[in-house]
Amino acid sequence: MLLGPSGCGKTTLLRHLKRELTPVGTGSGMICYKGQPLAELPAEKAAGDIGMVFQNPDAQIVMDTVWHELAFAMENLGYPPSVMRSRLAEMAGLFGLEPLLYKSVHELSGGQKQLLNLASVLLLQPKLLLLDEPTSQLDPVAAREFIQTLHRLNEEMSMTIIISEHRLEEVLPLADRVLLLEDGVLQASGSPREFVRGAGDVRQAARRAYLPTASRLFLALSPEEELPLEAIPLTVREGKRWLQAYAASGQEVPAAGNLQHAAAVGQANSSVPAAPLLGAREVTFRYEKDGPEVLRKLNLSLYQGELLAILGGNGAGKSTLLQVLSGLAKPQRGKVDLAKGITTGYLAQNPLLYFSFDTVIEELRHMASVAGLHSETAQPEIDRLLEVFQLQQVLESHPHDLSGGQQQKLALAMIMLLKPAVLLLDEPTKGLDPEAKSRFAGLLGQLLDQGISIGIVTHDVEFAARYASRCALLFDGSITAEGRPSEFFSSNYFYTTAVNRMVRDILPQALTIEDVMAAWHVSAFRL
Amino acid sequence: MSSGFRAMHPAVALLYYGGLMLFAALLFHPLFLVTEIAGLAGLLLLQGQGRQLLRGLPFYLLMAGSVAVLNPLFSHRGAHILFYFWDQPVTLEAVLYGLMMMLVLLTIFIIFISYNYTVTTDKFMYLFAAAAPKTALLTLMALRFVPLFQRRLRQITLIQRLRGIDAGQGSLRKRMQDGMTLLKVLLTWSLEEALQTGDSMKARGYGIRKRSTYSIFKLDRLDKGILLVLTVSGLIPLLGWLQGYGILEIYPRMKPMEFGGGEVVMYISFCLFVLTPLGLEGKEKWLWRSSRQSAYPSVIPEKSGTRSMSSHSQ
Repeated sequence: MLLGPSGCGKTTLLRHLKRELTPVGTGSGMICYKGQPLAELPAEKAAGDIGMVFQNPDAQIVMDTVWHELAFAMENLGYPPSVMRSRLAEMAGLFGLEPLLYKSVHELSGGQKQLLNLASVLLLQPKLLLLDEPTSQLDPVAAREFIQTLHRLNEEMSMTIIISEHRLEEVLPLADRVLLLEDGVLQASGSPREFVRGAGDVRQAARRAYLPTASRLFLALSPEEELPLEAIPLTVREGKRWLQAYAASGQEVPAAGNLQHAAAVGQANSSVPAAPLLGAREVTFRYEKDGPEVLRKLNLSLYQGELLAILGGNGAGKSTLLQVLSGLAKPQRGKVDLAKGITTGYLAQNPLLYFSFDTVIEELRHMASVAGLHSETAQPEIDRLLEVFQLQQVLESHPHDLSGGQQQKLALAMIMLLKPAVLLLDEPTKGLDPEAKSRFAGLLGQLLDQGISIGIVTHDVEFAARYASRCALLFDGSITAEGRPSEFFSSNYFYTTAVNRMVRDILPQALTIEDVMAAWHVSAFRL
Repeated sequence: MSSGFRAMHPAVALLYYGGLMLFAALLFHPLFLVTEIAGLAGLLLLQGQGRQLLRGLPFYLLMAGSVAVLNPLFSHRGAHILFYFWDQPVTLEAVLYGLMMMLVLLTIFIIFISYNYTVTTDKFMYLFAAAAPKTALLTLMALRFVPLFQRRLRQITLIQRLRGIDAGQGSLRKRMQDGMTLLKVLLTWSLEEALQTGDSMKARGYGIRKRSTYSIFKLDRLDKGILLVLTVSGLIPLLGWLQGYGILEIYPRMKPMEFGGGEVVMYISFCLFVLTPLGLEGKEKWLWRSSRQSAYPSVIPEKSGTRSMSSHSQ
């Protein structure tokens, strides 16, 4: 498993391992495959033995139907029809693709598309599989399924897999070896537990962002303790077991009351509900006349200065809800009320939709003129936003050349020029590495301080638990549960943070490591 | 929903529709044309496409009818003058020729309706790939982009409206400009993705050797049999046509319709060609109807008098 912040060279490294995709540039050194230099392998062996799956599920698909996409790689290598037929039958069975075989590719969900990409590569029976952040565009459920499929391949076929990933909770416990890459240099290499212990070192605190929650909690609670390597917890189950042993071993079990106190202090300012800025009353929406109701009699309010996280499964209508709230889509029934004199800003999942000029600064200037700002007043405003969003270095770049996180920031900056009082963000944390995520949260915090209300839809439970002031669950077209994160998540059994699942018996209200730490230390001081 | 004629190998459909088109163009004879129309209409009805046929009917009738009306107005060839219209002679030959043209047009329309239903993109590409594999691959990839671009453009339009770019509002000049901007966004985005698609193709060994083709169609005994029947029954009318049978001569002077022995043989063979798919389709219909009546035919004899599940349910 390959770790590291965005832009540290993970993709470049993986591409070097796949001969057909080796980036153009000057290189030195040698890569060997089975003792043979990679560059000297016969073309068919190089294509067949080393398979690669990329980030974007859509862009990798070449053909229009599932069976044709599966056959594509085999056709390229000129296999005879009988071989293709039996391999395809085998693979369709393994991945459960049979019911989808004659479907058009665009009818598949993101997760299914990525499985299709994997299956198509596996049909060449590779010995080595390279995966470049394969789950970054998938929702958690599909991602877990994908990773489990990889795990099965690894366990049952003993296939070598090299994966770069931001989704550590699931992948790290499965990995045999973890490599950390920073600025193109290999910083650490070892088993996951060795990696956790290495990150326990105070000087390596930045690495902790890459650890699964159980390990982070472990390090946070007992950083000085020297434990045997096997005792370091990686999964929720191990974490819970360790925590129980830890609590039993003489440490005072913290009282749940302390935490509630601590949580109440943090959220006291949002407890007075004023008139809502944005409200939906019994909104019903469908895309087509005969289509299913995506939203059904939905009620929702957004208040001044809050960060509302709307959670929900795949295809629950989260994006549709945001479009209705932002006025881009008109509901067939019900009403969306916006307080007088304010506007909403909507950020779609794909920031590329917002760009139409050749440089970043042109995009911003054009947006300013749309917003009705004069060129004299626009410049200071643009400068201010550039500073907030840290985009000064890329002013003259083409928007498509920016990294994913920067593209998102630019799109957000463009929307901020419209001076919205309410921001509606669609999956803003998708595909961000842990560090970028916390920076993004800081950014949202700044905007909240400016008095802007924010509504986000997200799959990211950890993010919502940590930063949202209110959470809502969208299910079956309407909001089924709503409340402050501590109440919202502690009443759920599965749909909650990893920390909560670990400490639920001791501290039912704790959602984040900070919560646990706070409760633990309060009780420690009392001693 | 593929059974009967639709479930046949694409080659059968190709031969059938190719033959039909050829006959529609060559056999200029009302009997043959009407037979062809009736046969195809019957096939479509058996396939449950009656509504599809009805929906297109007004348009086709209008198109074909206008040809029938316009021909005598523009063409004045022929010996039998019926009357004068605005000092222009309207001849019997021109009227009949117009009606024949109408029949030909209707035949071609109905061939296309049936063709569209039977030969899906998959089948067409399969046939096409056999002739030109590279072009077929390119076409398939391009075909995928049509719905993809439509969906993307819808998203882009929605979002760009936020920044005042809207091809549906403003002066013509602004609308054209905005439309171009939207297309530019679409193209930049799609080209960017196409680079990744190219990587993905290369990673899977595209272009390192001659491609083979995977096919989901199998040529079985029934397919071969039908191919043989169609070929033989199609060749006979063709030979007849070479002998000068089956053609109604209208210009310059109408000749009486002859229907001798040669024409009868040719017509019977032609009927066989046109109606073969109908037979296949009918057999399928009959198969399901009869099997419904006797539940599932089984080798184990059903005991009479005992209360088995199946007898109870009936």
